[in-house]
Amino acid sequence: MSILIFASLAIAELGRRRVIAAVGALTAACIVLTGWAFSKLHQYALAHAATITRGDEAMANSMQVILLAHMFGMVLAVGAAFLAAPAIAGDVESGVALAILPRPVRRMDLLLGKFLGLAVITIGFVFLTGGVEFAVVHAVTGYSPPHPLEALAYISAGAVVLLALSLAGSTRFSPIAVGIVAVALYGVSWIGQVADAVAAAYHNGAIRTACTIISLLIPSGGMWRGAIFNLEPAMLAFASAQVSVNPITVTSPPTQAYLIWTAAWIIAVLAGAIATFNRRDI
Amino acid sequence: MRTDALTKFYGPVTALAGLTMSVPRGEIFGFLGPNGAGKTTAVKLLLGLARATSGVARVLGESPDDLDMRRRIGYLPELFRYQDWLSAREVLALHCALAGLRRARRRGAIDDSLELVGLTARRDDRVGSFSKGMQQRLGLAVALVADPEVVFLDEPTSALDPVGRRDVREVLRSLKARGATVFLNSHMLSEVEQVCDRVAVVDSGRVVALGTLAELVGGPKRVRIGLESMSAECAAAAARFGQIESADGTSIVIGDVEAARIPDVVATLVAAGARIVSVAPESQTLEDRFLSLLRKPDDVDPDLR
Repeated sequence: MSILIFASLAIAELGRRRVIAAVGALTAACIVLTGWAFSKLHQYALAHAATITRGDEAMANSMQVILLAHMFGMVLAVGAAFLAAPAIAGDVESGVALAILPRPVRRMDLLLGKFLGLAVITIGFVFLTGGVEFAVVHAVTGYSPPHPLEALAYISAGAVVLLALSLAGSTRFSPIAVGIVAVALYGVSWIGQVADAVAAAYHNGAIRTACTIISLLIPSGGMWRGAIFNLEPAMLAFASAQVSVNPITVTSPPTQAYLIWTAAWIIAVLAGAIATFNRRDI
Repeated sequence: MRTDALTKFYGPVTALAGLTMSVPRGEIFGFLGPNGAGKTTAVKLLLGLARATSGVARVLGESPDDLDMRRRIGYLPELFRYQDWLSAREVLALHCALAGLRRARRRGAIDDSLELVGLTARRDDRVGSFSKGMQQRLGLAVALVADPEVVFLDEPTSALDPVGRRDVREVLRSLKARGATVFLNSHMLSEVEQVCDRVAVVDSGRVVALGTLAELVGGPKRVRIGLESMSAECAAAAARFGQIESADGTSIVIGDVEAARIPDVVATLVAAGARIVSVAPESQTLEDRFLSLLRKPDDVDPDLR
């Protein structure tokens, strides 16, 4: 019960502080702008139908959608990190926790409530804005990515990884330190996926092992990989497989074992956060 | 409420060094001490906000982690903040929900609490727009909204004007009248003197004095005697009853004199030839007692009044 109270409080705070309105307005502007750009590209393709086939246009659109997903995923990860970083540390530093924690609530309730509230907002944001973006692209070009829901689920999972990581850091460290570290780790995890592709092309086992360890420690990069794979049409996946190194496409999705690992990782990080928060003197 | 050899270390710093005390139900208990004495730490340990290094803390007979016990307490922290994006009424509604107050009771409890602290007119204003004093009033309302059996108040009047302080004293008396226990951390000695049934003075994490105000302060401890003129014989006679704290041509102050001996002092001075114009027994104040109990009186807050 207390978890739901804290979850709804976290959501209400984002609304009252106009975070939702500000991000929503920026995202709407971004969707309008990209919709306009896609329509221009489509008009160009129609005007040059003799040299640009439907397949060429679909390939170009798929690349544009993937690049958009890159930007979207990065903004979302940074946003998730900075939303969760002050979630506990901010309450402790400001004195809000002093008033709340003597109530008949467990610290676990506060932490999981914040996580739930931020996760609901983040996932809702991903599916709403991602869905609208895909719909706009389809409306103006006729193109749809092969597995949009799966892609959005992976993007959401990547953001939830960052949420859990930041929230865990927030039980022990200052908000600014947690935010910076979480974003840096997101970057490391992402570049680990790219480096893995490079290492695979050059058959370097040591680098691949290092990248595997990174992807296990911070699974946000693996979720990015899943999102991109689900946005790639078969012909693009085939084409990218012929290119030895390509930082914006992937050749295979995460394995089922890796997905299970990621779910276990989130649970373990939250459990560690609860243990740390329970030991902390307020 | 009870603590037994309660100890808390923050790294190398000793915040509490074996705090032992008990507070019976229905009492207004004053907890006094200089800065850094361990007062707030003691409250945090009693509320489960911090973990004791060793020792025992019990509130309403239960561990600080007991959730059922926490339904029955209220707390106003010293350094606190409420969600500044909520209104006063929303803050109280949040705490009603967290305290597990039944929905049917919440509206009445919120209205009553706002009325009690004089914030009814500002109930829909955001907390972020409140002055420090108004936030402290809201803090008091939050502490009381769930009708607690035990109330912890940590410096509840530090940001209040004299009218607000008087209001808080009235609130404390009304709490006592309905049988609630109040644990009052305060630097305001005059406030403690006016409302507390018993007082503990804590220094360096230990209780150095504990008792009722009468027990702590005692009866008159000195007497000021006005004379037409002072002679050497009078001074010598007075010195037999206690320490001469001051003496001039027309008055003498004798310290460490029990009230029962004052008539003997007067009779002896008259026998020594003194013509007495006034006799004024003087009681020790709580502040006097407080300062005398501390090892380093110079460290006491200058605002101890």
